[in-house]
Amino acid sequence: MNKLPIVIGKSITFICRSLNLGQGSTWPGHIALLLNPNFIKDTLKKTETKIILVAGTNGKTTTGKLIKSILQESGKRVFLNQSGANLLNGIASAIISASELSGRLKRGYAIFEVDENTLPLILNQITPDYLIALNLFRDQLDRYGEIDKIARTWKKSFDNLTSSSTLVLNADDPLISFLSESTSAKVVFFGLNNDQFVTNDEQNAADSIYCLYCGSKLSYRKIFFSHLGDWSCTNCGHKRPVLNISESGKSFLSGTYNVYNVLASTLLSQVIGIKKTDVEKSIAAFKPAFGRQEIIRKGDKEVQIFLSKNPTSFNESLKTIQQLGGKNLLIVLNDRIPDGKDISWIWDTNIEFLSKGIKNISVSGDRAHEMALRMKYAGLENFLVEPNLEKAIEKTLISATGSLYILPTYSAMLEARKILTGRKIL
Amino acid sequence: MIKKKSITIAWLYPDLMNTYGDRGNIICLKKRCEWRKIRCEVKELNVGFDLSELKKADFIFMGGAQDRQQKIVSADLFKKAKELKKLIDAGKPGLYICGAYQLLGEYYKEADGTTIKGLGIVDLYTENPGMNTKRFIGNVAIRSSITEEILIGFENHGGRTYLGKSVNPFGKVIAGYGNNGKDKTEGIIYKNIFGSYLHGPILPKNPQFTDYLIRLSLEEKYGTKFKLEPLNDNIENLARVEIARRLKVKV
Repeated sequence: MNKLPIVIGKSITFICRSLNLGQGSTWPGHIALLLNPNFIKDTLKKTETKIILVAGTNGKTTTGKLIKSILQESGKRVFLNQSGANLLNGIASAIISASELSGRLKRGYAIFEVDENTLPLILNQITPDYLIALNLFRDQLDRYGEIDKIARTWKKSFDNLTSSSTLVLNADDPLISFLSESTSAKVVFFGLNNDQFVTNDEQNAADSIYCLYCGSKLSYRKIFFSHLGDWSCTNCGHKRPVLNISESGKSFLSGTYNVYNVLASTLLSQVIGIKKTDVEKSIAAFKPAFGRQEIIRKGDKEVQIFLSKNPTSFNESLKTIQQLGGKNLLIVLNDRIPDGKDISWIWDTNIEFLSKGIKNISVSGDRAHEMALRMKYAGLENFLVEPNLEKAIEKTLISATGSLYILPTYSAMLEARKILTGRKIL
Repeated sequence: MIKKKSITIAWLYPDLMNTYGDRGNIICLKKRCEWRKIRCEVKELNVGFDLSELKKADFIFMGGAQDRQQKIVSADLFKKAKELKKLIDAGKPGLYICGAYQLLGEYYKEADGTTIKGLGIVDLYTENPGMNTKRFIGNVAIRSSITEEILIGFENHGGRTYLGKSVNPFGKVIAGYGNNGKDKTEGIIYKNIFGSYLHGPILPKNPQFTDYLIRLSLEEKYGTKFKLEPLNDNIENLARVEIARRLKVKV
């Protein structure tokens, strides 16, 4: 009974694209789910397609794209939902777009990046062959609620999985490794060991530094960032699980957070049985997803966008820009629904320490003045406040020598990209 | 020569009770002291802290957190409840946001009906009406007798707080939900302490209130009247007015 939704869905995609209304990344799925609420379950049940889910607060899009390029390099037929279209309607849309008109899905692998709240819903519909859980950080508290609540609902879903699924988990995140406690699924762990990634900075945005079993404060032999590290509880003895992988091939992506994304993709590829050379080759050639360290040329200047949507991604982006020797920075703070309406998280960032050496700084967006306030209380004095993003980009670019780095929230990233490239993406 | 004035802030459980950017309140108090050449020392007091630290402080701050963190904190703070009550009743100034505010009361009834005992310092109680009722989330504007200007913040709470007769609300809700979404009250004032649901964080955007708290701490400490040197609050006002306009509140 899924032919009709697919035909209708494909027509909607065609119309959206022809009229330049966007890529049709959510509407076709939305309609299909109205026609058949079990559309995702029904379509995937009949296929041989292996299903890979990618979940976590930060890094879903980059990891999904990495896996896609690795699998393609090794000759597999793959499809992936569009970046950010990670609710049920986005996943259904991806299935429609990959299906033939006959309703058949002739792809070896389906990769879905999945929103934190959507993961339990999708696990009610389908049994994944592989599930990657990258991390859990505080993010959009107004929309997602508190991360402990997310972890609890995830754990319930994970407990229903069987040995036909493999969980690929971040051992360095205490909250994520806790999810493996009582599941029957196979479990493998990735994490870091190399001292080059150890940080000594104060971690103000750390969320889960208290033991989930006994409530004592965790001790860390090494901290990589936020609450990620080599952790243990001296009170009840729980500790970081043994790692199946801690080193991976060379990548051009900057930042410790991307090392985790590369490790997760590499470990998954090993479990699937992809040739090591194929994995290394695709990782070395990998180009960032849009808005995630993507470089856009504007006249004779280079603009690089680092999506920064919560305190951890903001801190890690800023740290990476500092390591790259960045001199020009534009921070864009919006508080629309996709960004989260609560922007109090900017006070948990370490902008005090991380903006040193950056000379040309501007703030923009719907909440430009609130960001300016944060900068003022961080002790910064010379920065430009321009709520209009188009003008802010123009003014910051004019006075820039070298690359301009933009740190936007989600909707601000889409807007900035549209201004810089003149193209609509979602 | 006049000796430099100073205040010490005790920040209760910074690594547990800091989910909603409440750290911004500490940053703000410290900066506004320093800009006026008032020394400001912040003591971070975590689980197992020594009571004498609390006694030595001129101002106490505690923020909000998730349920799990809050349970760890209650277990520790219960051991110190008597002393804290004594200090508050004797006039120790302080600011208690969201979870900390709820904890000061008689009890907190969770969404599933379980009742958690509060510290019993302030005559108020909080009840979460259940999983299927909506959380109070969004920008909020209140009018308080403490400041001339309207106060702006962001609230995000499931619990509804009801005040007893012996305490006054911190302010009247002009836009948003406040204590319980019904009686238009927001927060409490009791002795020299303030309880409130306002995150945002509350202090950076509301400098009149921040300065009130600094002055109160100095006056309690030195026993004389103080007048704080005015600061340039341009950016603060722009940030506050931005939200007031959106809420269609006159400023």
